[in-house]
Amino acid sequence: MEQFDDKDILDIMHEDLQRALKKERKDRRWAMAIDLKKCIGCHACTTGCMSENLTPPDIHYRPVKEEEIGEYPNTSMRFLPRPCMQCDAPTCTPVCPVTATYKRDDGIVTIDYKKCIGCRYCLVACPYAARSADVGHYYTGDFREKTYEVENSGEYGKTFKRKSHWHSPVGNARKCHFCIHRVEKGELTRCTTTCLGHATFFGDINDPKALITKLISKGNVIKYKEDLGTKPMVYYIT
Amino acid sequence: MEIFGVLVPTKEKIVSTLTDVATGKGGLPLYISIFGMLIGFAAIASIFIQGHGHTINTSNNIPWGLQITTYIYFVLISTGCTFVNFFGYVFFPQQYKPFASRVIFLGIMTAAAAFFSLATEMGRIDRMYNFLLSPNPKSPMFWMSVWYTAYFVMIVLEYINIQTNKHSNKVMWGAFFVAVITHSTLGSLLGAVSSRAYYYSALLPIYFLFIAFLTGCALTAIVAALTVKQLKLDANFHLEPFFKFLKIGLGLAFLLGFWRSAIGLAGHVDGSEVFSLTLMNNIVFGLGIAVVVPYVMLTLSRNASWLAFTGLFIMVTQLKTRNDLVVGGFKVPLFRVYDMPETITYMPSMHEFLVLVASVSLVSVLYILCEKAGLFEIANSKEAH
Repeated sequence: MEQFDDKDILDIMHEDLQRALKKERKDRRWAMAIDLKKCIGCHACTTGCMSENLTPPDIHYRPVKEEEIGEYPNTSMRFLPRPCMQCDAPTCTPVCPVTATYKRDDGIVTIDYKKCIGCRYCLVACPYAARSADVGHYYTGDFREKTYEVENSGEYGKTFKRKSHWHSPVGNARKCHFCIHRVEKGELTRCTTTCLGHATFFGDINDPKALITKLISKGNVIKYKEDLGTKPMVYYIT
Repeated sequence: MEIFGVLVPTKEKIVSTLTDVATGKGGLPLYISIFGMLIGFAAIASIFIQGHGHTINTSNNIPWGLQITTYIYFVLISTGCTFVNFFGYVFFPQQYKPFASRVIFLGIMTAAAAFFSLATEMGRIDRMYNFLLSPNPKSPMFWMSVWYTAYFVMIVLEYINIQTNKHSNKVMWGAFFVAVITHSTLGSLLGAVSSRAYYYSALLPIYFLFIAFLTGCALTAIVAALTVKQLKLDANFHLEPFFKFLKIGLGLAFLLGFWRSAIGLAGHVDGSEVFSLTLMNNIVFGLGIAVVVPYVMLTLSRNASWLAFTGLFIMVTQLKTRNDLVVGGFKVPLFRVYDMPETITYMPSMHEFLVLVASVSLVSVLYILCEKAGLFEIANSKEAH
């Protein structure tokens, strides 16, 4: 087990989570840190996320980018997991004509599936390609015979069953929401718990005692496309 | 206010026109258009029944495709019709007057066709009421909906004024300014997207207005040329404004098209390489075939048929140019994962093509039917009395 101060990091993050949940929602600030040196590119986070949120084909809330860095012959491989950055200055929320997507007071950028009109403007606006349009694809073709496809994913703590293209979230924009339905029940995000390399950290960065706060306060932290001014809340430890 | 015989043809004319159509006297263009409308409507029904997943080729990499292209194409033509109406009345009142009713009617029909295409693209069109219940004033798309509504009201008012021979300069100026605001807002909808280098530009709202003028001129030039032949008007006198408008429109399109590419090429922001990737297409097609060739064509003859052909040529080439603009924004992927290609390609599905066919046919059928029923001669005949 990965240790930090002689304790298992999942246990530490779990304690951090319980502490955060005792605070008022507006006093929390959820963030994620991903240690790029530890990521082995196994895609367990991608798979875990898909099973947690029952995402259809072509919708990955947390893909892992595989990139070569450096110049030949001095090159190396790097894996870059990409959840939604839950930006503090998101480009996706201002463009939504019907305020179906908005930033909660705990920092999570959410989508109201009942309001979304499926215009896809937010997909166009997001610089991280973190949003997808659910157009009604199914893995199994005739979904009526496969109940898995129409099960309730429980996203945002609500009930949504993809029974047809007139049932949300089909027709809507979709994205990573830091498994807020799990987090509010006291569970860590699925990508954090499935990460084989223990490279993903999650917690409340308003809590100075939280593991994530300690990690991101070190100097070796970058943010993806930070120059765009989006103030992403996903930190990459290099 | 009377509706039949003023805003729409008289009941007798409607019945006689429909009887002619039913008995095979409608003419080939009308029957082709009706066929296009039928297959287009069938495709639209299929989109709503089967859903986008089975009918549309857009994806997360290409969120907007031919349906949005069709929307932008038609909405800009509609704006252009309003511009032609305005400049026609202001600078060429005598030459322009016989076409006023037709031009503004086409402005209304193309605006409706634009919305028609947009409606088939939305994931949940049934939730459009949220524009009223939870509007977002920060969104250019919200403001577009507000101004689009105002624009529609203004051009309908302008149409009523023309048909009742009570033309009002206030309404005409109002329609012009609302058109400028509405369709520059549409340009800002793309121009404000900072994550897409191909869109992100202050030039885009102005580019949209210039292109609107060009495509509006192209459609109205076709209609004017056909009307001149039909009514046996003096072609040299009445078509002169359209030759001038088209030349100005092509010049403006060249200017903005050139500078958009040139400034894009000079950029060094994430995704700027799209301007290099699209350079040959933008020069050879966007500027050469779509702008220079029709300009040369306009200088070759003053014939009405030739003008109509040139207008048609411009309309077809500008449709491809609109698609290049919309799809070009997604050519370079923002985030490459797994086996994603270096550049994204897109081919519209048959359903998407048929939405375009439906929109074109809708305008065409309504125009031809109203023309046959004598709707556009009502204003002229009232004036004569």
